[in-house]
Amino acid sequence: MADEPNDLLQGTLELLVLKALSLGAMHGWGIGQRIDLLSNDVFKVHQGSLYPALQRMLRKGWVKAEWRMSENNRRARYYLLTRLGERQLAAETSSWQRASGAINEILRVQLAPGGA
Amino acid sequence: MNPLRDLFERCKALLFHARQEAELDEEMRDHVARETAARQRDGRAQASREAAIAFGGIERTKDEIRDASGVAPLREWFADVHYAIRALRRNAGFTLTVIGVLGAAIGAATVVFTVVQRVLIAGLPYPDPDRLVRVYQQNSATNRWSLSVVDLQAIAAQQRTLESFGAWQATTASLSGAGAPERVRVGRATSGFFATLQVATLRGRLLEPQDDSPSAAPVVVVSYRLAARLLGGPDQAIGRRVTIDGVTHAVVGVLPAGRDELGGITAEAWPILQLRTPLRRGPFGFGAIGRLKPGVTLEDARADLAGVSERLFPLWVAGFQDREARLTPYPLRDAVIGDAGGQVKLFAGAVALVLLLAIANVATLMLVRTASREHELSVRVALGAGRRRLIRLVLTECFVLVAAAGVLALVIAFVAIKGTALVAPTLPRLGELVVDGRSVAFALVLTFVAGALISLAPLSSRLVRGYGAASLAISPARTGPGRRAGIVRGVLVATEFALALPLVTGAGLLLTSFLRLQRVDPGFDPTGVYAVLIALPGGRYGDPATSQAFWRLAESRASELNGVTAAGLAGSIPPDNGGDVNNFDLLDRPVPTGTAQPVVPWSTVSAGYFAALGIPLLEGRLFTPGDSATAPPVVIVSRAWAAKYYPRSSAIGRQLYNGGCSTCPPTTVVGVVGDVPYLGLASATEGMYAPLAQDGPRTLNLVVRSRLDAGASFRALRAVVASLDPDLAPTEIPMQEHLEQALGDPRRWTAVVSAFAMTGMALAALGIFGLMSYVVRQRRREFGVRLALGASPRSLGLLVVQGGMRYAGAGTLVGLGLVTFESRWLGALLYRVEATSPVVLLAAVALLLATGLLSCWRPGVRAARIKPLEVISGE
Repeated sequence: MADEPNDLLQGTLELLVLKALSLGAMHGWGIGQRIDLLSNDVFKVHQGSLYPALQRMLRKGWVKAEWRMSENNRRARYYLLTRLGERQLAAETSSWQRASGAINEILRVQLAPGGA
Repeated sequence: MNPLRDLFERCKALLFHARQEAELDEEMRDHVARETAARQRDGRAQASREAAIAFGGIERTKDEIRDASGVAPLREWFADVHYAIRALRRNAGFTLTVIGVLGAAIGAATVVFTVVQRVLIAGLPYPDPDRLVRVYQQNSATNRWSLSVVDLQAIAAQQRTLESFGAWQATTASLSGAGAPERVRVGRATSGFFATLQVATLRGRLLEPQDDSPSAAPVVVVSYRLAARLLGGPDQAIGRRVTIDGVTHAVVGVLPAGRDELGGITAEAWPILQLRTPLRRGPFGFGAIGRLKPGVTLEDARADLAGVSERLFPLWVAGFQDREARLTPYPLRDAVIGDAGGQVKLFAGAVALVLLLAIANVATLMLVRTASREHELSVRVALGAGRRRLIRLVLTECFVLVAAAGVLALVIAFVAIKGTALVAPTLPRLGELVVDGRSVAFALVLTFVAGALISLAPLSSRLVRGYGAASLAISPARTGPGRRAGIVRGVLVATEFALALPLVTGAGLLLTSFLRLQRVDPGFDPTGVYAVLIALPGGRYGDPATSQAFWRLAESRASELNGVTAAGLAGSIPPDNGGDVNNFDLLDRPVPTGTAQPVVPWSTVSAGYFAALGIPLLEGRLFTPGDSATAPPVVIVSRAWAAKYYPRSSAIGRQLYNGGCSTCPPTTVVGVVGDVPYLGLASATEGMYAPLAQDGPRTLNLVVRSRLDAGASFRALRAVVASLDPDLAPTEIPMQEHLEQALGDPRRWTAVVSAFAMTGMALAALGIFGLMSYVVRQRRREFGVRLALGASPRSLGLLVVQGGMRYAGAGTLVGLGLVTFESRWLGALLYRVEATSPVVLLAAVALLLATGLLSCWRPGVRAARIKPLEVISGE
């Protein structure tokens, strides 16, 4: 699992992008890098799929985009989290934690010896 | 997701297409460049190639992004709209008809909605308008009148349910500021009048309690318009002096612009109304309004004021014997609206019928058009268009049509609301009429509903509903119309006739009523009769002897004018200027104690008045100089009066008490003259005339019968008045025009409803013509075969006409049912014609069926002229 880049569910990708942007405005490539970095390379975001996701999030009003000068004085399109995006991140984070906690509980269940 | 934001983002993506593409490109290139740089830092030799591979297909990604931006469906929809507009433009006649019919109907409905909303429903433009009441004196549900000074003072002293209370008297007065006097409408009002309405001034102050005392200096509040016209603007007006009917008033306040009407009274100046101590219960003639205390109901106020009436009655019983009369509060809004409700309902009903007709009509046209497009649609199906695509196509067309109609409707509404004043100048609260947000919302909802109803028509088409799809064999020439669509079309056309019948009947009734009203004998010959209204100011003419001298001189000078054959004076002039009414009690047949005495129009006249108007003396004598102030009081009565009270004997010599004064010397009837209406052309003609010398009027009409034209006669009359008193401002009344104006309202209403009826008939005719033309086109081949087999052209023509007339006949029958509803509320507007008049109804039915026949005729002729060979070989 660690070897192959993970196929991310669409919603999960959006959650990760929101999280990455919560650390500060960033351009598309940088977002990908951040996600790789934050997950210790467990999640390899497919670079091409990042942009359609960003476009959907633009339409939902979670992020906004603006052109800025980047560190090496090149023009790049930066994405910023909106107020709505922040709220979305908080909501999705808590629901993710509930769900993953529940899944962990389920996976911890073991058959009692002598059971059916 | 917020759908509005979503749509906004999509539209942005669509509108800034080129820029978005360029940015997309730059962003992708930037990404790959960064990836390459990163890989180079890691020391990879083929960094840029690896970077490109890591990214995947750039073009594919761009496509995915474009999909995610959601512009594709929008772009497709725009293409649909574009296509629909092209298709509609090819069929310009159809398109313009639909947009015009629907737009005009919705526009008219919006105007009516605005009128109903603003005139009938909206609260009056004062704080807490629901607490405002108007107080009347009434002795039965239908007979109410105004108040006297006694009533006003009793209410002010005794009532406990009103927070404030005020009185007014509307009249016209000659007013002069800097220049020559002019005649303006004034509302004399107490300070309580303004306190009750709680209006504010633009400049200066309102009338205040200290102004009410008869000893206070006279003050006046003026309208913005008057201040601008005569007093050099609102800022200069305060402190100026104006002369109103000879009395100098100081201007203390200016009302805001647009406040030309207060509490239902239109006036330019509001002089203080100072009430003097009364000597008897009458005369009545003051309006009264009040504001209920918070939490007090109308019922509480009614009980409170009834108590005032009961305590008041014994104090003045000598002059007023109607024990039934009660001071009664009504909501001020009802009093202001008055009987306009009936007129507006008539208007609203007519427009509603036309609107329904328009929708049915457009739906018919849409059905026929869809049916005749079945071939085109089936080609599309054959080329692979799915059912969804077809639905979208027809719905887009409907949308374009209805949207255009909606825009037209709004334009019409905004323009036509200004025209309301022309159609209904007597409507109350006209100044408040504007198309507001609510009206626009109404128009939009109506447009939407009409659109939905109209879209049903093409959606019921077989192809669109998914039958016979992918079949090019469906060619309109080979198959008859679908049975179900055929029934729908028939019902729609029949509906149009059903809706048109009440319109035509209503117009017929109003027209009949109007013609009868026009033929009413006014009792006098108006040609060459001219009158000027003269009001003598109280100050200089306060002494009756002075005013009597003025009137004698005016009459004699007018009668000596060149071309004048007769001159006289009268307090009221026919047919609807009867300001005065009076009660009386016959000595030989008194009414039972405590009940109301009969009330009839009452005019103070000089003997010359009858000759000037040409009212014949039928019995007894006219007034003579002997009927002086000191002689026994006499009256002349009308023929109708004599016939009503003394049907089998002569009225001459009979005696009565007038004005409820049983302690006064009795009045004797000395003459009977011809009937003249004073309270409107359709009013009863029982009337009484009193001699000038035995009354002390300060407002009279000087009437002459002249051989000169209107201009010369009025110039001469003005000169007479000016020679006696240059400060007077007489009002000119040409009797011929005055008589015609009395017919103004019925004429306008008849014209409006007739126009609607004509529109309705035209729509019904258009509908049935469109349908039958389509049927003939559809059955061309069948008719051709029939002709080839020996049918006569005549029989085919008859077949078509009969088919059409079946719809028209069925619809008209249903319409008869609607007419019975209509007659219920039309009755009140009619004069001497029954709302259920069978003659009018038959004429309306005949007219409508004739229109139907005429409309079916052309399609019938076309059917008869089909050339069998052409049709059959043409395929």
